[in-house]
Amino acid sequence: MESEIFNGLAAVGVSRSFGDVHAVISMDLQAPAGEVTALIGPNGAGKTTLLLMLASLLAPDAGSVSIMGIDPSKDPVAARAKIGWMPDTLGVWEALSAREILTFMGKFYQLPKATIPARVNELLALVNLSELADQKARVLSRGQQQRLSLARALIHDPRVLLLDEPASGLDPGSRVALRQILRGLAAQGKAVVVSSHVLAELDEIADRAVFVNAGRTVLAQTVEQAATQGRRYSVSAMDVHSLGDALTALGVPFSAGTGRRDSVSVEVAGEAQASALLRDLVGAGVAVSAFAPASGALEETYMSMDVEQR
Amino acid sequence: MTIISEGSTASPVTPQPVPPGRFGSYWAGVAAVVGMEMRQRMRSRGWYIMLAIWFVVIGLVTWLTWWSWSGQNSGFGRVSAQSGPGSLIFEIVMAFVLLFGLLVAPAFSANAVNGDRAAGTLAIMQVTLLRPGQILWGKFLASWIAGLAFLVVSTPFLLFGILQGGLGAGHILIALLMLAAELGVVCALGVGISALANRPLFSIVVTYLVVAALSVGTVIGFGLGAMVSHGTVMANQTFYKGTYSAIPPEYVGPGGQPEMPTPPPGITDQNLEYACYGPLTEYQTIRTDRVAWILAMNPFVVVADSIPYTPPTGRDYSPTGAFETISQGARIAQAGPAATYPCANGKVTPAYLSQKMPLWPLGMGLQLVLAGGVLALGWRALRTPAGKLPKGTRIA
Repeated sequence: MESEIFNGLAAVGVSRSFGDVHAVISMDLQAPAGEVTALIGPNGAGKTTLLLMLASLLAPDAGSVSIMGIDPSKDPVAARAKIGWMPDTLGVWEALSAREILTFMGKFYQLPKATIPARVNELLALVNLSELADQKARVLSRGQQQRLSLARALIHDPRVLLLDEPASGLDPGSRVALRQILRGLAAQGKAVVVSSHVLAELDEIADRAVFVNAGRTVLAQTVEQAATQGRRYSVSAMDVHSLGDALTALGVPFSAGTGRRDSVSVEVAGEAQASALLRDLVGAGVAVSAFAPASGALEETYMSMDVEQR
Repeated sequence: MTIISEGSTASPVTPQPVPPGRFGSYWAGVAAVVGMEMRQRMRSRGWYIMLAIWFVVIGLVTWLTWWSWSGQNSGFGRVSAQSGPGSLIFEIVMAFVLLFGLLVAPAFSANAVNGDRAAGTLAIMQVTLLRPGQILWGKFLASWIAGLAFLVVSTPFLLFGILQGGLGAGHILIALLMLAAELGVVCALGVGISALANRPLFSIVVTYLVVAALSVGTVIGFGLGAMVSHGTVMANQTFYKGTYSAIPPEYVGPGGQPEMPTPPPGITDQNLEYACYGPLTEYQTIRTDRVAWILAMNPFVVVADSIPYTPPTGRDYSPTGAFETISQGARIAQAGPAATYPCANGKVTPAYLSQKMPLWPLGMGLQLVLAGGVLALGWRALRTPAGKLPKGTRIA
């Protein structure tokens, strides 16, 4: 394998504007092989534009992209053999069946003819569409089309996987399956980039996250880093008043929780402090019934950012 | 939902480097695009409905033409024994097939690329190993094949027309080839324009306008162009044999009665009909030869000019069929005054311009240049990674 170059996907200082709109301004992104990198940001932050540049469809005005060491603007064919791209638009040939779409994709990627049917069956099984394989794509539900789209991106066994909002429209069962597929792909040494809004989901999937806002990279951190940062915990007890009294006695500031049940919200610096607080509360005789992070680690980062929507 | 164990996507299938024979693999990609397009078209019901309507309409036109001709002949009207109905039926059916072809071809070619872009499927093809040229060729060939299906459906009627008139097998072959070529030109224009324009509706309208410019605009353009193409031609006097009109005063006899015309002196050239005599003088005329190329681009002129017709045998030549009339008219325009002005350069001009210098290769060539140019621009617009994008374009 390529050892001397960065093993994975890297974008350095890429910019792209459409007329007067600066969609992406000097963004950086590193997605190492074997890890899942989340791309997080509000609508209009430039996530899709960045992914289009990574997918070799859009040329950056400035900066450089490297797919396993290949610059897609210099050698698009070599780069595309390594890229699997799943767009946020479904893009389904409605008159064709799932099997036909995947077969044509195999031809477009110049896979050896004899291997295509087996590969198609394998992918249909992977995304659980085997039973619907010969139905017209038109009759598939949104979630099923989404899964077909994922299978399509995987047909040529790419080294780098770019997924734009893969979880939108999926039912909970499919989300669990998607999570397993993505973790499995990362375990095979692929670089996986996922853009998503479902932040709680990403806590489970992603190894690292890149936060973007208003066309710029705001922050890049690993999920471990996110987990150790200060975050809010939600605490419930059988008797809310005794909980309040105990927290006051411990000198921990708290506020009323936002949930439906009676709960309070406290700020803790990290997981160590959280477990200490729980021990103290139980030691003080408070009947704690729930003690959990109020939000996911990445969501905490996201909400602490000065997010501006456009 | 089945839980799939990790590693299930690990498979020996990886994109192979392009196998030997780059040319073969290029066309394999084109063939894959054609296959995908054709499979989609074959599944659309509208397509079969259009074919059925086409069949019925062409059949109706053939039958009405045949009926009106046989009605004329069974009565006491003038019987045109010389030409029969064949030339008439064949020409009308052929003109109709061409007209309808020009009308339907934009409908199934001019949304080939931007229709996919709107559906979000174009970018998915662009991100594969397909080259822009393969996508464009594939879309063009698929729409052309779709157009040829219409031609196949109208073949029985063209055959009927040819059999009725006793025309040769060469006629049907040339007619089909030329119609196929014209459909190909329109499909290429449509696919190229659809790669350039953002919205399918816009590109379809633009393609229709281009087709209108070719079939009507060329005639208007030729007419307007001819009006401003003044020029001169050197010619001498014309003496029509057997007429009194052109006799100079010196030949009028003593009684004021014109004598039977005697040929004037200084004849430079003559045929059975008239003679040229006297010194060459400059005459004002219209140089149609300068603008004939505009007329040559007309699809009807191209098709009419390519159909062979029998050269006349008698001395009085007048074109018999409509196609022959169009062809001769266009050739006279192309030949210009030097060949058609009476007694130009002291020579008699033939009433019939032989097919030695046909016009249609020029017209077809210009059409191909136009279609090729539009396709080349479309190819530029399909290149990725995309640099400058037209306003409002969304890649995916």
